[in-house]
Amino acid sequence: MKKLYLFNLFFTLLLCNAFAQSQQDYSNNANLAQRIKALAQKYPQWVKTKSLTQTTGGKDIWMLTLGSGQTENKPAIAVVGGVEGKHLLGVEMAIGFAEKLMASTTTDSIKNLLTKQTFYVFPNMSPDATEQYFAKIKSERSGNATKTDDDRDGKINEDDFDDLDGNSKITMMRILDPTGKYKLNSDDPRSLILADASKGENGKYILLSEGIDNDKDGNFNEDGEGGIAFNKNASFNFKAFAPGAGDYAVSEKENRALFDFLFDAFNVYAVVTFGPTNNLSTPVTFSPAGISKRIITGWFEADAKSNALVSERYNKITKTKDAPKTQAEGGDFSQWAYLHYGRLSFSTPGWWVPKVSPDSARKEKKFVNEDANASYLRWAASQGITNTFTPWKAINHPDFPGKTVEVGGIDPFALINPPYKMVDNIVAKHTDFVVGLAAMAPQINLINLKSEKVGDGLTRVTLTVMNDGELPTYTKIGDRSYFLKKIIVKLNTNNNQTVISGRKTQSLESIPAKGFNELTWLIKGNGKITIDAGSPTTGSKSIEVSL
Amino acid sequence: MRIKHTILLAAMILCAGILKAQKPENVIAAVGSPPNPKVAVSWNRYNDYTAITDICKRLAAAYPNLVKLESMGKSFQGKDLWVMTITDNKIGNPDKKPAMYIDGNIHSNEIQGSEFALYTAWYLVEMHGAGNKSIQSLLADKTFYIAPTINPDARDNFIHQANTANSPRTGLIPIDNDRDGFTNEDGFDDLDGDGHIVMMRRKSATGKYKVDPTDPRRMIMVGNDEKGEYELLGSEGIDNDGDGFVNEDGEGAYDPNRDWGWNWQPNYIQSGAYKYPFSIPENRAILDFVMKHPNIAAAQSYHNNGGMILRGPGALEDLDTYNAADVRVYDALGKKGEEMLPGYRYLVVYKDLYSVFGGELDWFYGGRGIYTFSNELWTGYSMYNKTDGENSQNQTYTFDKDLLMNDAFVNWHPFKHPTYGDIEIGGFKKTYTRLHPGFLLESDAHRNMAFSVYHAYNTPKLAVGEIEVKEIGNGLKQVTAVVTNERMIPTHSSQDVKNNIEVPDVITLTGGTVVAGMIVNNRDMGFTTEQKIDPANIKIDNIAGNSFVTVRWIVKGGSKFTVAVSSKKGGEASKTN
Repeated sequence: MKKLYLFNLFFTLLLCNAFAQSQQDYSNNANLAQRIKALAQKYPQWVKTKSLTQTTGGKDIWMLTLGSGQTENKPAIAVVGGVEGKHLLGVEMAIGFAEKLMASTTTDSIKNLLTKQTFYVFPNMSPDATEQYFAKIKSERSGNATKTDDDRDGKINEDDFDDLDGNSKITMMRILDPTGKYKLNSDDPRSLILADASKGENGKYILLSEGIDNDKDGNFNEDGEGGIAFNKNASFNFKAFAPGAGDYAVSEKENRALFDFLFDAFNVYAVVTFGPTNNLSTPVTFSPAGISKRIITGWFEADAKSNALVSERYNKITKTKDAPKTQAEGGDFSQWAYLHYGRLSFSTPGWWVPKVSPDSARKEKKFVNEDANASYLRWAASQGITNTFTPWKAINHPDFPGKTVEVGGIDPFALINPPYKMVDNIVAKHTDFVVGLAAMAPQINLINLKSEKVGDGLTRVTLTVMNDGELPTYTKIGDRSYFLKKIIVKLNTNNNQTVISGRKTQSLESIPAKGFNELTWLIKGNGKITIDAGSPTTGSKSIEVSL
Repeated sequence: MRIKHTILLAAMILCAGILKAQKPENVIAAVGSPPNPKVAVSWNRYNDYTAITDICKRLAAAYPNLVKLESMGKSFQGKDLWVMTITDNKIGNPDKKPAMYIDGNIHSNEIQGSEFALYTAWYLVEMHGAGNKSIQSLLADKTFYIAPTINPDARDNFIHQANTANSPRTGLIPIDNDRDGFTNEDGFDDLDGDGHIVMMRRKSATGKYKVDPTDPRRMIMVGNDEKGEYELLGSEGIDNDGDGFVNEDGEGAYDPNRDWGWNWQPNYIQSGAYKYPFSIPENRAILDFVMKHPNIAAAQSYHNNGGMILRGPGALEDLDTYNAADVRVYDALGKKGEEMLPGYRYLVVYKDLYSVFGGELDWFYGGRGIYTFSNELWTGYSMYNKTDGENSQNQTYTFDKDLLMNDAFVNWHPFKHPTYGDIEIGGFKKTYTRLHPGFLLESDAHRNMAFSVYHAYNTPKLAVGEIEVKEIGNGLKQVTAVVTNERMIPTHSSQDVKNNIEVPDVITLTGGTVVAGMIVNNRDMGFTTEQKIDPANIKIDNIAGNSFVTVRWIVKGGSKFTVAVSSKKGGEASKTN
């Protein structure tokens, strides 16, 4: 027994090692921890890692700081993955970004970038949930390990999915019933779509996720394992009492740990989320209604312009197209990052089912109905992927005695996570994007310095503080938030020098991209003075003036 | 040395006084007050955290059967957040009786809330000890959770550091208010070292103020056609950080009452909000405590000032949360409060005061379905027992002169200011304008205590009434039971029912084998709604105030039946036929 155990251990170690060299599949938490550790060991001069907290499920929330020197004083981008627990790709994109960026530290441009800016990478915010991908029975899950009463009936996790067909995957079940609202999709009868009553169509099937009504309350699988979803627990547009949202916003350890860190990270000027929401393929549109009420629900015009500029860059760099429109859910992280955290917030799922035109060789016709499942199946066929659909098969279901119940459908995870062999290319393109975004960073510059003699021992000093970057020094929405710092301009004089006009210390509000402020002082005295200007999101500059 | 002696002498006289007062044969009880309290407390002064801790400990030691003292958690600086569980421990389970939660001092400068909360605790146990039947019956039925101060760090800052009547309102987590990268670098400066931050004035040919001819302490604005003699320079302070602003970044500066998890908004929308709901450690400790005590059915928080009994919603955006059924309960309680608290008005925060997102009372109600009031303690009405109206400014001066022997004012005196030069410093002490003067403290504490007792009394009281057993043939019996709620507050507020915040009440039958169970909608007409699953335990969404529900079982065998009701906020009751 002991021998066998040792053998297993040896085998596991060997396997881990193999993974580290060439990933074959998405990473579970142990594997992710390995990859993080490997990075820190290989690039100690650039990488610092730390566990921010542990989830209720006992899993680490990892954070990597990429940069050099006083990383907390350099403009920073936060890169966040695993905001949605079903989205393994997001985890891969975040850790992959760190790996690829480090692999590029051989180049001067990346070295230079890492001396000027900092990247905070949080690869997986939903480690309790993503682990389900590797479970014996695979089911999609967003919630963490906090015990919740999702159907608010006083019992905890009493009605989970059940693997009725024994294929170790939770798919769907359809029940032949005249009250059903679904019909077979004529484009692809493997998929079901809602019958359109307004066109006189009749439904034939009830469509439910695979399982039994364990608590006999008439609802199926409504209170299973999986508690609170990271991406439903943020404070913007939080939906109290909704399943998976939590009793109040930011109730979970992982949300609190990340938010606590970010609020104190005054240097963060942009947040990049690899998750369900997409404002990179198509930017948000400015709507006056979104900012006309007390509770701001949309982007300010100036910030929306930044989004448009970044989106243009994203499409150019990643060459992605045909992205479906997304609708952020209540308590979503990327919306929070703009609306409550006050930073420029960009989000992309990284991958979606590509559009394919009908293949005449396969006698395919143009689709009549909008149906993500049918689109997926057609795309999968074009890629030679055939093992992700379970054909409908009749079973005996205890809750539907005497009825025809069939279990089948597309594998969990397949619709939003591409086959692993595609991941490397997605990560590479998105790494290029984040590096491209960093090139747009707000950057302070001191220009047009003028020193004029006004009278005996009296000098007028004029200076322009300019933002050379393509992004503002901080957002319009952040104007009134004390979690965003102003640019401080400080005149350093000695005892023989007096400021007659102008402020010795002053703070400047946000400077837009390519914008500037002209400052002027009257100074009595001789010799040299220095002027410092800077803020956490812009870096600092200093200039010397002779009086 | 001489001062020390005086203090010692005073202490001796005081002790002697107490000893004498404790002899029962020398006193006759004033009605409604404990004649010989075991725990002596002076209710005409304010206590710091150490003194509050001491009173709590003394109460717990004197009345071990009535008081359990525990810490809900730690403040930012590591002080224990005390809560006293007050109930008759000999009767029932304290955490299963309908309970009232009371706290004070969420805003650190609003210190009398702690004395009011402490007075409530003290009064309940001392009257219980003195044999008062009303209080004995109350503590048999109900539990009180009383947290005298939920902001102890900044309470001590208010008391022991120099402050105005308005500072600090915050807790003591350092905040960079002027966003220059430094925290708390330019607060008030107690220029004259008297522990009070008052006003600075300077003689000025272009000033807009003059001395009030009727009261030389008071500064009044001159008319448009008049020349002033003074300018006002704000609160005592200097420009510590040399940025050209005075006192712009002092202690903390967030609002603990904008930190609660209901309709929370960030600080650019709701000034005073911190990072996210319950991001302030004191509030998080209370949250945890409340979540662990689902029996809390009523809550009260103490603020100052203005004489208000406030309910939510805090913001117009939340108007729909407070539905008509719940507002009726609030109105009944609040109107009674107006009668009990002269000068106080029952008001709604968002329309009568100002807009608040993330306030404590909104979370208690919106998030937990608990009927909650915030009382703004102290009203100008109490100065001369009449509505202060337009003279309120004036009254603060005359009241100080007439009844407080000019103790509330720091007289104007000269000071050499590093930036402003020759100035004068003067104004009302931090302990005046928002805090009760000593002689009115106990009386108002008593009235507010009585309002809480009324509120707590009206939390649900459940009883199993009639149990009717009827043979219906085939060896089956029909058992019908009526469960009543004898008080005004329902077991589930309407907000609770709407969102399934708390689990339903359960009415259980034991004795015999239950074949079917149902809720009786109309007993005369025989309308019922069957509960197919688990029929022995009938689930009831709500037992309304001063109302009843009827349930019925069809049972095989048995003749002795016990009907028991269990409700998180309504307590427990049972009866056997």
